[in-house]
Amino acid sequence: MQFTSFEFLIFLPIVVAVNFIIPRKFKYIWLFITSLCFFATVDAKSTAVLIGVILITYFLGRAIEGAKDNPGKKKYLLMLSMVLTVGFLLYVRFVEFLASRMKDVTPDAPPSVLFFSTVGISFYMLKAISYLVDIYREDLVAEKNFVKYALYISFFPQITSGPIERAKNLLPQFAYPVSVDFDRLRDGLLQILWGYFLKLVLADRMGIFVKEIFDGGYLQPGTITFIGTLFYTFEIYCDFGGYSHMAIGIARILGIDSMSNFDSPYLAQSIPEFWRRWHISLSSFLKDYVYIPLGGNRKGKGRKYLNILIVFAISGIWHGAGLTFIIWGLLHGVYQVVGYILKPVRDKLVDIFKVNRNAFSHQALRTIITFLLVNFAWVFFRAFSVERAMGIIAKSFEFTPWVLTDGTLFSYGLNEANMLLIVAGLALLVIVDVLNYKGVVVREKILSQGIWLRWAIVIAAILVILVCGIWGPGYDASSFIYEQF
Amino acid sequence: MKKRLGNLFKIIAFLLVLAISVLAVTTLVRRKDSNYKYADFFDQAKAGHIDVLFMGSSHVINAINPVTLYEDYGYTSYNMGGHGSVMQATYWELIEALQYCTPKVVVVDAYMLEKNYQYLDVMEENADKSERNTSVEQLHLNMDAWPLDRLKIAAINDLIQDQETRNEFLFDFIVYHSRWSELTSEDYKTVLGTETTNPLMGGEMRYQVELSPTSFPDPAEGEILSEHTVGQEYLMKIIDECQRDGIQVVVTYMPCCATTTDKIAANSAAEIAANYGVPYINMLNMGIIDYRSDLNDTGHLNATGAIKVTDYMGQWLTDNADLADHRGDVSYSDWADKVALFNDELKDMATSGDDLYTRLNQLSLNKVSYVIYFNQGSNALKDDDLMHLVENLAGTTAVRDASAAENAPYILIKDLSNGVYEAYGENGLDGVATGLGHVVYQPVEQNFRFLYPTEDESLNYLYDDDHLGYDIQLITYDSESGQIFSHDYFRSFGGTYRVD
Repeated sequence: MQFTSFEFLIFLPIVVAVNFIIPRKFKYIWLFITSLCFFATVDAKSTAVLIGVILITYFLGRAIEGAKDNPGKKKYLLMLSMVLTVGFLLYVRFVEFLASRMKDVTPDAPPSVLFFSTVGISFYMLKAISYLVDIYREDLVAEKNFVKYALYISFFPQITSGPIERAKNLLPQFAYPVSVDFDRLRDGLLQILWGYFLKLVLADRMGIFVKEIFDGGYLQPGTITFIGTLFYTFEIYCDFGGYSHMAIGIARILGIDSMSNFDSPYLAQSIPEFWRRWHISLSSFLKDYVYIPLGGNRKGKGRKYLNILIVFAISGIWHGAGLTFIIWGLLHGVYQVVGYILKPVRDKLVDIFKVNRNAFSHQALRTIITFLLVNFAWVFFRAFSVERAMGIIAKSFEFTPWVLTDGTLFSYGLNEANMLLIVAGLALLVIVDVLNYKGVVVREKILSQGIWLRWAIVIAAILVILVCGIWGPGYDASSFIYEQF
Repeated sequence: MKKRLGNLFKIIAFLLVLAISVLAVTTLVRRKDSNYKYADFFDQAKAGHIDVLFMGSSHVINAINPVTLYEDYGYTSYNMGGHGSVMQATYWELIEALQYCTPKVVVVDAYMLEKNYQYLDVMEENADKSERNTSVEQLHLNMDAWPLDRLKIAAINDLIQDQETRNEFLFDFIVYHSRWSELTSEDYKTVLGTETTNPLMGGEMRYQVELSPTSFPDPAEGEILSEHTVGQEYLMKIIDECQRDGIQVVVTYMPCCATTTDKIAANSAAEIAANYGVPYINMLNMGIIDYRSDLNDTGHLNATGAIKVTDYMGQWLTDNADLADHRGDVSYSDWADKVALFNDELKDMATSGDDLYTRLNQLSLNKVSYVIYFNQGSNALKDDDLMHLVENLAGTTAVRDASAAENAPYILIKDLSNGVYEAYGENGLDGVATGLGHVVYQPVEQNFRFLYPTEDESLNYLYDDDHLGYDIQLITYDSESGQIFSHDYFRSFGGTYRVD
């Protein structure tokens, strides 16, 4: 069962309805039961691993807290926790890497040689790690109630693709969930709708074109390839952003407020800003639990640059075991290091040319450059090999604008109507993101309108998703990009 | 409490508006073929205007024209044939139809009786994916129009094995929502209730002429299928159902280029019909149609074939069933309108189109008067298929004589009010009476000849400087007014004929 499956559309209203009528102090039990059921339907074989991780990290958390008066033992327990959790995660990645190598050599090889399944492990394991470290740092008291802790790890809106929530935010909400009133319900549903729109109408539609460009037998004409890379840049945003909106909206109508995961990332004016706006729950995790413990920027420039590179290499590995992911991560690290090194030069140029840093033109230029750098790096993220990525990048620089007018553009699985829909959808996305960038919450604006306009917008949104969404025969409902990480 | 009730009311009202919107959109994007086929069935059934149901596959769709049956006999019927309908699909089609009407006679065709699989999405073991897709797609044409109810669920469960595919039939929005990018004006008309419907009460006419009808060896005398097939089982169910409801049932086997297996299946249908004591009409070898002119392709009849088969069935019904002639009854005026429309279509087919075989075959329906002219040396006079069609029109073998006489020029005038005139070689026609006047035909040389009315000798219908290279001319006209509907020039290229 996935968010985009029919079963989920039956499952969710039942969960919400029962959650609404159940006494407040028992809601967490209901949510845990439903979370386990949800996860079992996603992948029953992964449930044993999930329960194992919950059990081990629960007792480790209790043990670390129990040793708070014995620093040596506490440190030892933390080290043990990290060896077990990070080690297991690395083991899974390594085995997957081996499997992918084997697949290259022997196409008939099985996709994985693990004797167990690990769906969602990259997400819930990070939640467990942050929980244990927070207890070690005494920023958090270990949860005594096993079911509440288990729910923290397995909370179904977040289990497969995040956000990678912190225990400090989630556990108190399980203990004291807020009542779901009519306004919260409307707000949550609106956010879920936006998520479905991004995923089903835009991401999966662009994915058809992207697949032709990245996975096709031949490299395509230059401008087509460039458009393919742009589409992928938006596809992954709409896919993962869409999922996050759904997850946050679903949690909201269950009375739980999740952390935000995306904040108009493609409007960022620098790579560091991009990472403050993209996959915020992972970025903040890496900052809090990797970058700062490594020394952050407190140990000199050289060490700072090294720490950045380490953090982004880890980010790459977290996303996948292949070389392409590591290159993608390192590229982002290098962008930032080079950015810091060249900062004096850039500042000098700004002074020489008397550039107004607040001018729209300057800010727009920075946004465009940042976007293109991110777009460039995504090519490695998506391509099935480094060679393919290099080929696509080389092709992208070929200028063949006639493909826009001679019909070639429409020969990659999307006709004129579908292309027009993508352009209109992306325009809407940009408008919403710009408003969001300026602090305007579009959902609130919609909900503050009169009833006829409010209803018209919501009904139109539902109809567009139903009619123009990519679903039905042949659609793989389990195709969220980030679920594979 | 008041606020809660208010919110509850708002939610209910919102869901209601949403449901109506979704329903409208579902109607908009739904593929219209099934609705096109059956919309008139629902109307006619509601009015109690259906006396006969024709059931079966595309063989029935193309073989029976209810409009012709009404025009020639006054019997009202509906052609329920479905593309690719195997017997179990036909059975459920009948059961659905019987919910809306109780006909006096059901005519069921036994084509595909030999098929021995239950599920249309599985088919035989050796069926490939594309065949299964086609099978499912064709069932959509048959089933989409029926409303979702317990009967439809039972039908789909019986015909389709895969649950997801079943859902696509029960909630076809799953399949059709992606049609949003190909919507036409017809789709919007359906929402507004002004859509176009099948003008032939479920029938479909084809107009090509199959030039290479194939024949297959006959099976042993009386040979029947070696096993009891799913098709036979459902034919028996159909007969059972009709007999239980007191409906007269007739089993047929429509004419086509039957394979040996088809012929065996036809024998098996005879056996089942005999066992149940119901009439059986095996039209494969009854000489009802001309296999050289009445087939659209090896499996399906064209319009001339359909009219012959329909008329045969009309006569059979007259002889064997107690049906009322509804011609002249004002409450059946829509049937008369459809007759007029169909005759207009036949006239259009005879007076326009680039396919010479189709044009000549359509002329045999005598909807217009015409002149056919072949130049001396025309390849048409070496084309056996074409000459066969001309023989059908003239009722003589004069065109063969022209061919034998070293491809001498040939003319055929068929005037619906005055008669048929033919000439070839050096022979002419001298002032024969036609709607064009008293016309004189006089061959002069290969590329020049006269055809003019004595009332205006300045005319020459058969010569035009701009069409010197054309060796075939076809003129259609109204025998009463003399109005010329069309004058087309063809030139032969080997075995084909082009107008350009």
